[in-house]
Amino acid sequence: MVSKESCRNEIRAAIRQLSDRCLYSAAKWAGEQLVGIEQDPSNFTPSNTRFQRGSSSIRRRFSTNESISTPLPSVGFSQAATPLPEEDETIDGDLYLLAKSYFDCREYRRASHVLRDQMSKKSVFLRCYALYLAGEKRKEEEMIELEGPLGKSDAINRELVSLERELSALRRAGTIDSFGLYLYGVVLKEKGNESLARASLVESVNSYPWNWSAWLELQSLCTSIEILNSLNLNNHWMKEFFLGNAYQELRMHTESLAKYDYLQGIFSFSNYIQAQTAKAQYSLREFDQVEIMFEELLRNDPYRVEDMDLYSNVLYAKEACAALSYLAHKVFLTDKYRPESCCIIGNYYSLKGQHEKAVMYFRRALKLNKKYLSAWTLMGHEYVEMKNTPAAIDAYRRAVDINPCDYRAWYGLGQAYEMMGMPFYALHYFRKSIFFLPNDSRLWIAMAKCYQTEQLHMLEEAIKCYKRAVNCTDTEGIALNQLAKLHQKLERNDEAAFYFEKDLERMDAEGLEGPNMFEALVFLATHFKTHKKFEEAEVYCTRLLDYSGPEKEKAKSLLRGIRMAQTGFPSMDLEHFPI
Amino acid sequence: MAGLPRTAGAFAVTPHKISVCILLQIYAPSAQMSLPFPFSSVSQHNRLGLYLFSLTKSCDDIFEPKLEELINQLRDVGEEMDAWLTDHLTNRFSSLASPDDLLNFFNDMRGILGSLDSGAVQDDQIILDPNSNLGMFVRRCILAFNLLSFEGVCHLFSSIEDYCKVAHSSSAQFDASNDNLESLTQYDQMDMENYVMGIATEELSVPFHLHTPEALIKVTEGITYGLRVTRKESSRISKKNTEATRVVCASTSTLEDTLVDESLFLRTNFQIQGFLMEQADAIETHGSSSSFSSSLVESFLEQLQNLAPELHRVHFLRYLNKLHSDDYFAALDNLLRYFDYSAGNEGFDLVPPSTGCSMYGRYEIALLCLGMMHFRFGHPNLALEVLTEAVRVSQQLSNDTCLAYTLAAMSTLLSEMGIASTSSVLGSSYSPVTSTASSLSVQQRVYILLKESLRRADSLKLRRLVASNHLAMAKFELMHVQRPLLSFGPKASVRHKTCPVSVCKEIRLGAHLISDFSSESSTMTVDGSLSSAWLKDLQKPWGPPVISQDSSSRKSSTFFQLCDHPVSIPGSVSQLIGASYLLRATSWELYGSAPMARMNTLVYATLFGDSSSSSDGELAYLKLIQHLALYKGYKDAFAALKIAEEKFLTVPKSKILLLKLQLLHERALHCGNVKLAQRMCNELGGLASTAMGVDMELKVEASLREARTLLAAKQYSQAANVAHSLFCTCHKFNLQIEKASVLLLLAEIHKKSGNAVLGLPYALASISFCQSFNLDLLNASATLTLAELWLGLGSNHAKRALDLLHGAFPMILGHGGLELRARAYIFEANCYLSDPSYSVSTDSDTILDSLRQASDELQDLEFHELAAEASYLMAMVYDKLGRVEEREDAAALFKKHIIALENPHDVEQNMP
Repeated sequence: MVSKESCRNEIRAAIRQLSDRCLYSAAKWAGEQLVGIEQDPSNFTPSNTRFQRGSSSIRRRFSTNESISTPLPSVGFSQAATPLPEEDETIDGDLYLLAKSYFDCREYRRASHVLRDQMSKKSVFLRCYALYLAGEKRKEEEMIELEGPLGKSDAINRELVSLERELSALRRAGTIDSFGLYLYGVVLKEKGNESLARASLVESVNSYPWNWSAWLELQSLCTSIEILNSLNLNNHWMKEFFLGNAYQELRMHTESLAKYDYLQGIFSFSNYIQAQTAKAQYSLREFDQVEIMFEELLRNDPYRVEDMDLYSNVLYAKEACAALSYLAHKVFLTDKYRPESCCIIGNYYSLKGQHEKAVMYFRRALKLNKKYLSAWTLMGHEYVEMKNTPAAIDAYRRAVDINPCDYRAWYGLGQAYEMMGMPFYALHYFRKSIFFLPNDSRLWIAMAKCYQTEQLHMLEEAIKCYKRAVNCTDTEGIALNQLAKLHQKLERNDEAAFYFEKDLERMDAEGLEGPNMFEALVFLATHFKTHKKFEEAEVYCTRLLDYSGPEKEKAKSLLRGIRMAQTGFPSMDLEHFPI
Repeated sequence: MAGLPRTAGAFAVTPHKISVCILLQIYAPSAQMSLPFPFSSVSQHNRLGLYLFSLTKSCDDIFEPKLEELINQLRDVGEEMDAWLTDHLTNRFSSLASPDDLLNFFNDMRGILGSLDSGAVQDDQIILDPNSNLGMFVRRCILAFNLLSFEGVCHLFSSIEDYCKVAHSSSAQFDASNDNLESLTQYDQMDMENYVMGIATEELSVPFHLHTPEALIKVTEGITYGLRVTRKESSRISKKNTEATRVVCASTSTLEDTLVDESLFLRTNFQIQGFLMEQADAIETHGSSSSFSSSLVESFLEQLQNLAPELHRVHFLRYLNKLHSDDYFAALDNLLRYFDYSAGNEGFDLVPPSTGCSMYGRYEIALLCLGMMHFRFGHPNLALEVLTEAVRVSQQLSNDTCLAYTLAAMSTLLSEMGIASTSSVLGSSYSPVTSTASSLSVQQRVYILLKESLRRADSLKLRRLVASNHLAMAKFELMHVQRPLLSFGPKASVRHKTCPVSVCKEIRLGAHLISDFSSESSTMTVDGSLSSAWLKDLQKPWGPPVISQDSSSRKSSTFFQLCDHPVSIPGSVSQLIGASYLLRATSWELYGSAPMARMNTLVYATLFGDSSSSSDGELAYLKLIQHLALYKGYKDAFAALKIAEEKFLTVPKSKILLLKLQLLHERALHCGNVKLAQRMCNELGGLASTAMGVDMELKVEASLREARTLLAAKQYSQAANVAHSLFCTCHKFNLQIEKASVLLLLAEIHKKSGNAVLGLPYALASISFCQSFNLDLLNASATLTLAELWLGLGSNHAKRALDLLHGAFPMILGHGGLELRARAYIFEANCYLSDPSYSVSTDSDTILDSLRQASDELQDLEFHELAAEASYLMAMVYDKLGRVEEREDAAALFKKHIIALENPHDVEQNMP
């Protein structure tokens, strides 16, 4: 186990180094983890501990003081120690300071121009980074300028070529630091050279593990577990964060949860870890738990927008209108032009049945982030509600093309085609979605229903699907009932009786009643009667007698028949006698 | 989101168009002189005008020439003043130093246009009429420029810089990098391993590295300028395999380069669609041949997709490409993706959008395509399910067009799947159309589907579909005889569902297509690609010698020039017409006119060989080879087969193996090698029942051959058994034509076994069949057998036999193969010899002539048994005549044949 103190010291240094190099989002992430570490209780007066959560400003002041006063050596480092990089050039050049302030004002080209002749590693990095960002900015602008009839978006970052040349020269010469390697990796990835980008990023995180942005880039390049396992990464606690995230993206939720469990030992108050855990739980469909976690998260960090779209999905699933509107209002006030906020508002409108408005907000979310997977899928759902199937199909397909593992979108595609009366065509999509999530009974039931449509009428296949659904613990109990009915239809009464009995057991266990129950009871009673198992038949008949309605009469007549049969009288004659 | 409105004819200003404008300024300067400065003669002036005209015509093409290409062309056009022209052009470009200059340039352009009221035109004045083609072009350019935002002007400006820079930098490096072109082509595909390796060398030549990509593009551009024209030819000379593939590779890689390089300029939807259509044609024609690299196409399509993500047709092309490289999963994936995005609303120009249902998308087309894909990959049952769904959906959405196509597809599917396997499939599926016919036989169902499809296509004026349906109908009428079975016999009326006239009518109706298209060619030029033909045509007289040499090899396409403009016939149409020729050949084959069949096949192979799919091409070759085997003997046939094998090595579901087995079987039978024949027979039977289903026709043929083999092995009763059961099968599956040949075979068996009396009814039945189905050649051969049977009854019937034979002689000699002719000759001799009224000594020449003919022909055929008989008879005749020397020769020949017959294994060794 890494000592909390050493972590703390590492992160503190890292934040300074990262923000010095204008890697702000990495610095932000590191800062979040820093305050996520549980404070050493001996260092605090009891009055301080109540600030543990909530107002972090006091604590931060406190802790910075502490770090200056007590530069503790790292103790108990069980993992391979990564030496903190020495502070290069303690005095930044004047030009560097100017460049950094230009950078902070988002005048990237100016910043890189100021540093044109500076040779120190830090200056070179900032110059290249500024150049890269300038190119990105120009690219975004050009994308809008050049938008042609074919949606052409061939705008490219024109700095990439020169950056790649310079960085590769630096790398060959060996005068590149880990930040430079990170940038090199980003450039290579943009240029489509994934394997070399991966190598460069691995080198970067191995020499400087605290740059979360580098880890994120690396994670986006790990599209399969094989690639992930082939990476040669040094052991460091940052690697655990990386693995947790990577496992999640690869849909290995339990592994990911284990990682986060482990990390929670150190970073017990990290909002990030909590959100990630919630995400994993959401994928495991533990909605209640997720809701609690998000509520807590919002209490601690009320202006958080990240991951809140997930929370809204949970609220949507639980049909909590009020809570959803509260959440939407809150994020709207915080930052209305975040894709997440738009998505939340869209969800709210969708829940309210105002699908046009919902689509508008999802569209806005997609305008802000074209690759926003869940917005595409949700928009597809809205279009399905609006009966605009072609648009729905288009939206789903975009989601699938962004991430081919998105089983919801595959499922949506199947549904849309089934709606259009093309069940055979739809089957392919259902198969796809089941391939990515084979343990979900809902998908199996959807596929079975597809087979059951009157156009296809492939009942044998439907039965197979329902059986799989039963094996996946079908919570809604559709599969058992359908299995029984299908067998009944195919006149396989023994199987039908088996499944009716099972269904009855389930309904008993859950304390349910309803037409399904009557149906099962009637069938079982008649079935056993015809098979001369009168005792069982009687049991079911007497159960039926508890209910009123036509079933009761039916049960009575059945019982009569049973009595007759048992006493050996020809039942035919006595049916007509009123009792 | 779904689909894309077609912004047809969006016109963007590009550097190339500015060059054209500059040239136009030279052509018609606003200062009004009778002949502007650089021109020395009116014809020179006109020539430039004509060139400019063709340039403006081709400006909708996807490829715009580079500045250097333009300069090269100018060199040819401008003759002595080319230097001045190019100088002026480049100077004008270099004088464009800021966006403001562009603005001024277009203001000046306005000056060269005449005023709209053309009343005030003086005689010598050169004025561009604003309504002329050139004037329209200028006006469009000015308008498009005026519509540009300042950002747009900036983009245009920077692309002009690139346009000029490339031309300058490349001219210096052109010669240097020419030699190592091949290593350069790999440059852009080089992956990082090579890159790291190359770093060392790169350090030596860093400045070189900076320029190579551009230089490379220029180099390949320059070379493939000629190549692009020869691309079509390159597939034909695929014998020089390495060379050809390199050519294709080079040209496709240029496509990539050009596309990427020119991505700065916006292409219109219209242009790209046209280009993609061209590519799709290319994939379909060369798809599965070895010289076509599908991976190159794939990578190029991928790039295109990155450039234009909303251009969904790229997915369709990827599907086509994958389909032809037999990658099931990728094909399926791309097909589904295409239809998910486009909802069937984009790219199917053949199907005019039926009104009213666009809201729901046209996913029924997706089903149709999916069905055909399954069929191609050999999942007939899946295909049928999907097509049934397509029928249902298109009925629901009342898309009659799609319905017509789907029905046609279904009928093809049913007729190609063979007959035995379908009955089970159709039983499980049902649809409003097919269910009405559920009690009918498969042939009848095919017929009904075809009729329905034809009716719809006719009312919707889908010319191609009508034509192909007519062809399918002709094929159907040819193959399936719908004869009322109850009224069988000579007394029944001779009217049946099929007769050559109706087949001929259908084929002719199908061929009407070509005249339809030539009359409506103006409306058919929707493709942007076609407009480039203008430029190519104009360049012909001036072009470099490469092109003029090619024109000789392009002779085959001159056929089309008779009809109309050379390019106005789309590939699919010529394919259809080619198919009609193939069908004609087949029908003549059946009706028994070998020369006509051969002629039609030759017409097909020479005229439509380029545009046809490779499997059709293969079929034509096979027919020709079969013809060779029948009329020229096996040696020639096997030599031709070898060539065909090389040519069609990669064709999926190749029929070459089948033909080879057939030829080998025939030859083995003739040589008397019964064992080999039996083996071939078994292999044929194996081919008949594949995993895909049982090919009934092939199965019938296999058992027919088995019976013949048994007959050759003199196992008469077994042969008769096989033939009997075969007859039952044919009857069951309504294979009327096969029945006739089975009956004939039965007659043969009885003849050979010496039961002439039993054979007679079979022969007569066969003749009656042949007569009613117009199978003339088979009829002749049946008559021959009948005559032989009569003779077998005793020599007193010789006269009657001879009369019969002479009746059939014209047909046999005119159209029959070597074997039939030889048999007829020998039989004639036999008749004469057994005729008591005939004496050898007085009229020996008649016999000897026919015998000599027979033995000559049998020599080619290696048919030892008959040859031995012929020489035996000859020897006997010579003996009677007392010509000892010739008798000895004939006897030696006889001995040779007998020995060969008894030792068939010697022959087997030198078989291919």
